[in-house]
Amino acid sequence: MTRIACPFCGPRELREFEFHKTLPTPGAQGAFARTYERVADPALSVEHWQHVAGCRAWLLVHRNPSTGVVFAVELAGEVMP
Amino acid sequence: MSAGPERHGTRLRPGPLSFIFDGRRYTGQAGDTAASALLASGVRLLGRSVKYRRARGLFSAGFEEPNALLTVGVRPSVIPNVPASQLVLSEGMVLRSQNRWPTLGFDLASLLQAGGGFFGAGFYYKTFIWPSWRTYEPLVRHLAGLGEAPRACQLPPVAIEHLHCDVLIAGAGPAGLAAARAAARAGARVVLCESEPACGGELEFEPGMIEGRSAAAWVAMTLAELATLGARVLVSTTVVTDDSGEFIAHAEPGGLPGRNTVYHIRPHAMVMAAGAIERPIVFCNNDRPGVMLLGAAERYLARYGAQVGQEAVLFANHDRVYAAAQRLLAGGLRVRAIVDTRAADAPGTDSEVQRLRESLVRSGVECLSAHAVIGAEGGRAVRAARIAPLAGAGARTGRRISCDTILVSGGWSPALNAGLHGSDARRFAPAVGAFVAGSQTDWRRYAGSANGHFDLAAVLQDGHGAGARAAAHAGARGSAGAHPQGSGDAPPRLAPFARSPATGPAEKRQFIDLQNDVTVADLRTALAEGFIDIEHVKRYTTLGIGTEQGRSSTVVGGAILAELKGETLAAVGTSRSRPPYHPVTMQSIAGFHVGAAVKVARRTPLHDWHATHGGMLEPMGLWMRPRYYLASGANPFDAAVAEARRVRAHGGIADGSTLGKLEIAGPDAAAFLDFLYLSKASTIRVGRSKYMVNLREDGCVLDDGLVLRLAHDRFIATTSSGHGTHMLAHFEYYRATDWAGHRVSVTDVTEAWAAIVVAGPHSRAALSQVLGAPWQGRLSQLAHMDFADGQFGGQDLRVLRASFSGELAVELHCRPAMAVPLWEALICAGLEPYGLEALDILRLEKGYLVSSELNGQTTPLDLGMESLVRQGNPCLGRELLDRPAFHEASRPRLVGLRAADGRAQFLAGAQLTTEAAPAQPCGYVTSSAYSPTLGEWLGLALVARDCVSERALLTARDPLRGSDTPVRVVSAVHFDPSSERMKT
Repeated sequence: MTRIACPFCGPRELREFEFHKTLPTPGAQGAFARTYERVADPALSVEHWQHVAGCRAWLLVHRNPSTGVVFAVELAGEVMP
Repeated sequence: MSAGPERHGTRLRPGPLSFIFDGRRYTGQAGDTAASALLASGVRLLGRSVKYRRARGLFSAGFEEPNALLTVGVRPSVIPNVPASQLVLSEGMVLRSQNRWPTLGFDLASLLQAGGGFFGAGFYYKTFIWPSWRTYEPLVRHLAGLGEAPRACQLPPVAIEHLHCDVLIAGAGPAGLAAARAAARAGARVVLCESEPACGGELEFEPGMIEGRSAAAWVAMTLAELATLGARVLVSTTVVTDDSGEFIAHAEPGGLPGRNTVYHIRPHAMVMAAGAIERPIVFCNNDRPGVMLLGAAERYLARYGAQVGQEAVLFANHDRVYAAAQRLLAGGLRVRAIVDTRAADAPGTDSEVQRLRESLVRSGVECLSAHAVIGAEGGRAVRAARIAPLAGAGARTGRRISCDTILVSGGWSPALNAGLHGSDARRFAPAVGAFVAGSQTDWRRYAGSANGHFDLAAVLQDGHGAGARAAAHAGARGSAGAHPQGSGDAPPRLAPFARSPATGPAEKRQFIDLQNDVTVADLRTALAEGFIDIEHVKRYTTLGIGTEQGRSSTVVGGAILAELKGETLAAVGTSRSRPPYHPVTMQSIAGFHVGAAVKVARRTPLHDWHATHGGMLEPMGLWMRPRYYLASGANPFDAAVAEARRVRAHGGIADGSTLGKLEIAGPDAAAFLDFLYLSKASTIRVGRSKYMVNLREDGCVLDDGLVLRLAHDRFIATTSSGHGTHMLAHFEYYRATDWAGHRVSVTDVTEAWAAIVVAGPHSRAALSQVLGAPWQGRLSQLAHMDFADGQFGGQDLRVLRASFSGELAVELHCRPAMAVPLWEALICAGLEPYGLEALDILRLEKGYLVSSELNGQTTPLDLGMESLVRQGNPCLGRELLDRPAFHEASRPRLVGLRAADGRAQFLAGAQLTTEAAPAQPCGYVTSSAYSPTLGEWLGLALVARDCVSERALLTARDPLRGSDTPVRVVSAVHFDPSSERMKT
């Protein structure tokens, strides 16, 4: 069931969120790699989403893009270098 | 038609109802459906088939009905394709049959089949190809299609209700009721949806005992308990789609789309207990009115006291047919024969079934084993059934038993309903002869006959277990108690049998999909022509399309395809149906989002002033903005030209409130903006502003605007009107990610400030007059790009000297409440408003980017911003600007254009070519406008760098609008290149 648990607002429906991008490959060096080299894993995708129709927090969402199952949601900033 | 004797049934109430069918008045009884009332009135012909126009009658008692689709209402506000079996009558209802012309009894197109034989699979693809499809289209369109689309809608808007619950249960038969009770007892909040107007499912007509009570008493008791436990029971409501766990249920009181409510239901767990759909056995002419599902006859009798005919032959492949025959016999139907495809000595024969069979024989019913109905006789109604042994002598010709009804039952296919739409795997269940859900998940379980159980005791136990598990998954901690005990009809002991033996010609009349006229012969053709997969066969033959989505035909179709291919049904599978599970009107999906409420409209504080003063408002993104004012001219062109000319000659005011305004504050604000903009914000002095450009991470230009420094640690960044919301997300993104932990905040203040642009040579005089003494000295001290904060009428006012018109101009940023007084004071001081069209002319004359130049593909180098790039600020996207491809000679370059003859018109979108390569565009016109100041058409264009040279001659080719205009490359700044007018 595709709901995203916003760390501030609790579980909310997909329609309140907006997808931004799949994160680059871990350890990607340089602007080109960071911009264009994305992980394309059908079982796990790590993505940035925004709770646009809610608290507007930017979120780091771990999910399975094949099934839509969301594994984990955290605030985007907390794991960024 | 006069009313017959009063009928008795579980759904009927006393009292007559009159209605019109195909122009004739009929009488039914309160509670009747259109189907039951027409049956009771002796009407058997209810429609014609879509392709062959064959006479068709009622086939089922549910919304799997493929034949009896009616159009309800009076033109133009009609509702087509309503199954007669679902439509509860109301007084005076007007119904029409479909797919017939001119009348149901005499259909011209049906003569086609009499004359020219049948259109086989792929008929349209093969036939209407010479000289072209268009030759035939009008005739085919007249004959094709299901029902008639409404030309007007006079129905009230549909209510959309949002429900949140722990457990959603689809179906209120024995399994669904047991599941609901278990979940509610465990403490879960339950919503129970039942498609029919009453709960109980099969229990309505199959006598059984549950927990020591009659089935009907148990249903009533369970519903009473559910009510006290706070469960919500929605009847006439079908779960039609499952959008990743958000279910949409569609309530159709009376079975009539349009008078409905749509529920968006978000459960934590779901039980699918929608029962099973009876499937037919296919034989020759099995589409004749009078051939009907066995369960339908029982339902019409129990619910409405309506007889499906006088004399019937029953045709089945399971034990349930005997109990059904006995009930029908008791109800007054003369059962002539029961034709069982199974051998009499099949192992495991139930002794009770044997006794039942013997008693039926004593009542004069002929019971045949290892026989099949191989054909129906009769045209517009069945007159006889042709019966033949499955092996041995007489298997080809058979014998005739006269009857007016053939009741057929080939088993039941679990209704996977909305679960079928998704990617859920299905598993073949041999005992059922059909498919069940491949796996049960914690949050969605199938139960009861939807899960392949057909014995009442097992159904109740399965339903109870599913309800208890769903409640536990949803977090309910109470006890569901013991599962209900019950006993009903004997298990079916089904032996799969999909179609009777037939010769080649007879296969052309063995109908698999009644709604789409798909026959066994069509499947053979599809296979012969290489369509092997069930999904390809579906598309080529139209098996399982339409309103019914193959509810009664996909399993049979799969089984027959398996037979023709020499494979198993498990290997062949069935095609998927598409959502919604049954037709939903577009109006129901739209809900209240119709007309002006289709989308949100953002209005500026001056919106009402524009609207009442001839401002022609048009949507721009979500904003409504005045395009021009009627007082300036009767059409957009004349008005815009007059307004632009007036600004240059005298002055004018424009509403700039739609500009996005983001306030960036904090000790790290300047550094943050340095990161986000191509040039540095940290070098802006307090009280100054600067034109700045944002890049995307890939180096392309995202947006442009002014950045104002309010204080050392506080800025306002303005964005273009259309990009406001996107730019807010962009700023927030980098603040939350790369700049996490830094001391900077981003606040959208767009609607906290109205903005009025005051431009033109006389603007300063008018402004002095309006703002009065406190501002007079300050206005003259403001240099270009300076701003000053102060008060006007006791409220905040910011005066920013910036110009997008090339004229001496200021932007007044005021609180929304002051916008109208300030605007009206400026009008009194002699300035007149101008709209977006004029603004674009003024911008274009100065070579300012209009909007189509920022198309997400242009870099600052393409747009002539080398000086900004050379400043070397290491901003977002700066690094990727150095990619070699961005410096190639084929990259575009922003240039100005004018017609070579100084007069001709050329428009945005025209492709530009050189004389050397007249067929190879080297660029295109991005913006163009007629300049009243210069008296000619001006343009901006993106042209390949190697084709750009001063005074180069190109051709603006505009084949769609039919013009080829020689144009000359000029400087993008057409007017006042030294910008003296705006700086002095």
